Parts: sequence; C-alpha cells; structure tokens
Amino acid sequence: MYQVESTAAVARVHRALLTRRLNVSRVVVLLGLTSLFTDISSEMVATILPVYLVYTLGLSPFQFGIIDGIYQGSSALVRIASGFLSDRTRRYKTVAGVGYGLSAVCKPLFLIVGSAWGAVGAVVLLDRTGKGIRTSPRDAMISLSTPHEKLGTAFGVHRALDTTGAMLGPLIGFGLLLLTPDSFDSIFVVSLCFALIGLGILALFVKNPPAETRAEEPKPRVTLRAAAGLLKGSRYRALVIAGTILSLATISDGFLYLGLQRNLDFDTSFFPLLFVGTSFVYMILAVPIGRLADRIGRGRVFVSGYALLLLVYLSLLLPSGGAGLLVVYIAILGTFYAATDGVLMALTGAVLPASLQASGLSFVVTATSVGRLVASIVFGALWTWAGLQNAVLVFGACLVLALAFAAIALRRTSGEAARA
Amino acid sequence: MRSRRGLGFVLLTTICVVVAVGFVLWSALGSRGASEAVAETVQPVSLPRDAVIFRSLDRADAKAYGRVAIVSRTDPSGPRELSGLTCERVYYAAGQGICLAKTGAVKYVAVLFGSDFRPTHEVALSGFPSRARISPDGRYASATVFAAGHSYASPGQFSTTTTIMDTASGTVVADLEKDFTVTKDGKAIDSPDFNFWGVTFAADSNRFYATLGTAGATYLIEGDVQARTAQVVHENVECPSLSPDGTRIAYKLVGDSGVWRFHVLDLATMTETPLAETKPIDDQIEWLDDDSVLYRVDEEIWTVPADGTGSPERYLAAADSPAVVRP
Repeated sequence: MYQVESTAAVARVHRALLTRRLNVSRVVVLLGLTSLFTDISSEMVATILPVYLVYTLGLSPFQFGIIDGIYQGSSALVRIASGFLSDRTRRYKTVAGVGYGLSAVCKPLFLIVGSAWGAVGAVVLLDRTGKGIRTSPRDAMISLSTPHEKLGTAFGVHRALDTTGAMLGPLIGFGLLLLTPDSFDSIFVVSLCFALIGLGILALFVKNPPAETRAEEPKPRVTLRAAAGLLKGSRYRALVIAGTILSLATISDGFLYLGLQRNLDFDTSFFPLLFVGTSFVYMILAVPIGRLADRIGRGRVFVSGYALLLLVYLSLLLPSGGAGLLVVYIAILGTFYAATDGVLMALTGAVLPASLQASGLSFVVTATSVGRLVASIVFGALWTWAGLQNAVLVFGACLVLALAFAAIALRRTSGEAARA
Repeated sequence: MRSRRGLGFVLLTTICVVVAVGFVLWSALGSRGASEAVAETVQPVSLPRDAVIFRSLDRADAKAYGRVAIVSRTDPSGPRELSGLTCERVYYAAGQGICLAKTGAVKYVAVLFGSDFRPTHEVALSGFPSRARISPDGRYASATVFAAGHSYASPGQFSTTTTIMDTASGTVVADLEKDFTVTKDGKAIDSPDFNFWGVTFAADSNRFYATLGTAGATYLIEGDVQARTAQVVHENVECPSLSPDGTRIAYKLVGDSGVWRFHVLDLATMTETPLAETKPIDDQIEWLDDDSVLYRVDEEIWTVPADGTGSPERYLAAADSPAVVRP
C-alpha cells in the first residue's frame, strides 16, 4: 500500500518535472527513481537495525557501533575502485547494478544468517560495499547524460528523488513495526521488495551512456595514471581542495542539532523531527537551487551555501532567541544541503573529461566525506575540552578562511560554467 | 521491445507488492494471536528463601520465552517455576523486583513488583532496556536504557540514560546524566557526551557505583543518591557489580586487544584480577556468593570463580538476567 502511495507521488513529481520544462534527461529521472526505491529499502532497515540487533540478537548498540565504524573506511576504498572500474570498462550501468543488487541480496541475508554477530557484521559490510560500488557510476551516468549547462538541475532532480526515499524509508519502517510489533522479518521482506523495484527500474529502463556522448574528446585510455593525472588539472584540483577544506570546517548536523538544543532549549525528543525537517527542505529546494546554479554559476551557489552554514554557527554564539527560531535554522540548514551536495557533483562533473567521470566524482566524494569525518571528531573533542562556544568560534573562523579560499579558487571554474 | 520491458516491470512490481503486503498481513495476524496467548496466565508464585530469579529463554516453549522464572539456588537444574511477567531484563532483592518490559514496538517500561510477582508500579523508559538493579534493602531501583535515535550512520556513537527510582512510590528520583555532579581528582567535570550505565548499590542503598563513559574512555564512579554527587575512583570499568560483602567489584574491562574481559577489582588495594572466562561478554555480572559470579553467555547463564582461578561452567540453560535472592 505504501508502494501505491509512493508510486503516485512519483508520478506527480514526474509530471511536475515535465510541465515545468526542466528537460532533464530521462536517465536522470530513472536513476532518481532507482535511488528513491533503494533509499526507502535501505533507510527502513537502517532505522530499525539497531533495535533489531539489540532486541533479537542481543548485541549492544556499542558492539553495533564497532561493526559500523570498521566498515565505514572500507566503503570509501570500494567507492574509488568502482569509480575507476566504471570508467575503465565504460559499463557504468553494470557496475551500478552490481552495487544495487548486492544491497538487495543483503536484506534476505539478514534473516538467514541469524544471530552470529560475525555474520551479521559481514552482511552489514556487504550492504555498505554495495552502496560504495553504486554511487560513483550512478553519478557519472547522470553527468554523462546531461549537457554541461544543465548539470545543476540534473543533480538537483536526482537528489530530490533520492531524499524523498530517505524520508519515506524510516516512516515505512516504523509503520511496519507498529503493524507487526515483533516481526522484523516483515521489514526485511518489504525492504527487499523495494530494493528489487529500484533494481528493476535500473536494469529495465536505464541505458548505459554511450561512449561517444561527448564526441569532442578522442578515445583516451583509462589508466590509473590518467586517473591520478586528474589532480594535475587546475580546475579539478581547485574543486577537490576547496571541497575538502570546506568539509573540514563543517560541523556535522548531529552536533549542530545538539548545539541548537542547548541554545534554544527544546525537548530532545524533537531530534528525529529535525532530521526530517532538514531533509524536507533539502528535497523541496534541490531542484530550484540546482536550476539557479545553472543560471548564475554553480561555484557562486556552492560558496553561498557554505555562507548560510556560517549563519547557523552564528546562531550558536548569540544569546538564545527562543525555540521559534529553530524553524528558521532548520530551513537554512536544508538550504545549505540543497546548495552544496548535488551542486558540488555538478561543478565537478563539468570539469571532468567524459572518460574519467566516475573516477573523478568518486575521489571528490571520498575526500569531502573523509573531511567531514575528521571535522566531526575534532569538533567533538573541542567541545569536550574547550566548551561549545569556543569550538564553534574555532570552526567559524576556519569556515570564513575556507570560504575566502573557495571563493577565489572557484571563481574561474564557476564563471566558465555559467557561460558554457 | 519497450513494451516488453514495461510489462516486465509491471510484473516485477506486482509480485513485489503482493509478496510485501501478503507477508506483512500474515505476520500481523500471526503476532496478534501470540500476544493474546501470553496474556492469559498471570499467577502469583511462591518464592523460596534461597533462589535465583532469571529470564527463562526456553525456545521450545515460545509463549514462555522471556518469562521471569525461579529455581532453587542449590539445585539450579531442578524444576523452574514460571511467573506471569515477561521482561527484557529482570532484577530482584529484598522482596522488591524490577522488570524492564516491552509494551509496544519501540515502547518500554520498568515494571516494579513485589514478592508475589504482581506489578506495583510502571515507570516509562526512554529507550531499549540494558541494565536493571535493586538496592540490597529494596528501597531504590535503577535502570539503564539505550536512548532512541542511534543511527546506522553514526559510527561508534550511542547514548544511554540511567535513572534511579523509588520503589515505594514508583517515581524517578534522579537521572544520573541530568542530576549528578561528577568530580575527578577533586575537580568537577562535565561534557555533552557523558553517558552513565550499569548501577550497582552498596549495602546502605544510598551509595552506589556505576560506569561513566566520555571521550572514548570509561570510568568507575562512586555516587551518593541523596547528595547527587559522584566521584571517579578508577578507569576502564564497565557494568560494575559489587560483591555481597562489599569489598570487590566485578566488571568488564576493555583489554589491549579492544575486547571485553571480565575482571574483579579489589576496592581496598585497587588490584585488578582477570577472571578465567576469556570470552568477550556484554553483561552486568551477578554475584552467586562471595566466591563466584554469574553472567550470560548467549542464552545461558554461566558461572566462574571470582578470584581468577578455575574455569567457566554452565549454571543454568536457556536463561539470562540472573538475580540471586540472598537468604
């Protein structure tokens, strides 16, 4: 029944997209739908997985945290490898399909492996590996099937659909748990069904982008050396560096919510609502901001997004303005995501040669996510030792410096993209 | 070609919807029947003076899975008497019991009960049950839960809530994280990442020990319920359990290899003795007597001497969450 509802919603989104004449490629919408169903599938499991592991298998969430933590790193390596492999073979669809398929297969495996926590760990590893594998070939397909001047819109459309799935997933997961209190089996079965539908869309409807999409380039050989050589290109290098230092100055949303909670003094039970609120704003704004980026310059929008983040930092330093302001901050945070996540992919896609799309995109994603992880650890330590205010001051100062650098570094890239 | 793909997709979606809806309906109806069956038997039980109370985990009798049960301490393989309470974690001392129970998909309560095993009070819990204790005189109860909201995406992060309840009134007396001032080396410390878990009460009930986790480290704290203060007394201690004579603490220690190993800390000399059980086990130990301890291994209760000698032995099959009723 959820399927029917979400399919109807998807049809509405699809119609809305067509009527507004966004003219994004069919592949982009289809990949968006694949992500939507896959995200419903994975997020509904992710939401209940801690409860499942501790309740049914007797694992402590602490043990689960260890399982999860160990495999975060391996997923980054897989992502770079799969990016390179996709470029090398040009079989983006196949590589992405393996990733989506692997995660789908994991859902019934959770039921089969039972309670051995080593085996459960292995299934979580497989699931994460699947996610690592599919990300870069999928983003490369979006980039390859979209003309340069439409990249911001295309990634906006994909991220809007993707986020829709990420919002529906937990709702469906908890809904099922209410309906069948003790049956985690039904969650894994329903999750598998959503995953198969997502995989079906990819397998049946998405066409692998042809090699000659961007005909201006001769057939270059995809080698490790060529992939590493990407960093010699000044525009790509500027993006990687700007993206990484900005991510190093980013306070993770978990900490921001905690800081806001201390400052505005609202009940901690609202926390899940903050995540949903932020995702909702992101979902709504992903497409309009993507279009805006295509018009006025993606570098400009990207840097402005981080400038918005600075506003949220400021709110943590000012005296409390009442809980009503929370809505404003959540809106700003959602806008920040809409202006940075997909837009960075669009920026990067535009400067990469067609032959190295997946490798180049995967490296940027990995560099920025490692940056965020480091930032989280540092921020947590600073908060503990120097207090919230000082920690925010340090990160605010770093963000100002990073913004100045990024604004200068991206001016050229952004200008060219806007004219293109 | 295109229509064949379309047909394939319609077929796939139809199968998926039918399987999903069918499975959900089937399990929804199935679980309803089961919960009715569990509710039917609530009989009082007679408690022998020298007994072990535990959670019965006999999978052969699915309806009684998780039910609180009683065996003689001297004859643990003898007949077990089942009570009407079903719990995730149970503890009992001095005629007063606490049962952390699941009441909804993600709803949990602490059920306080008397020596007749009839509930006296219910206290709402804010997350998944982890530890439960009753003070030796039955005055206070304590529960540790994992607070809701740990995400798949936040590695290594978890959050606990530990409360102390008054058993007579069924009210929460204190939340360790909110209400207590902790000192370390004479200085007050505080951090947003503070987590407390695993309370164990001393003979006077007012004094207690627990674990404080912060910045990746764990500490043994010694607290005072009335004064709302606690001080750090040792490092690397999780889930402490005070011996009946009050001289030692059995606990989990994270060794160099990064896994837990049960140890016993002598409070007078502060010497740590590893126990003969080498498996990494996540449980709060229960002392069988002053010489040996009980703990959970998968779905069984095992015992090992408390001085590091001997070897682990199975004490009770298909059981966990032991509470020794001291004569």
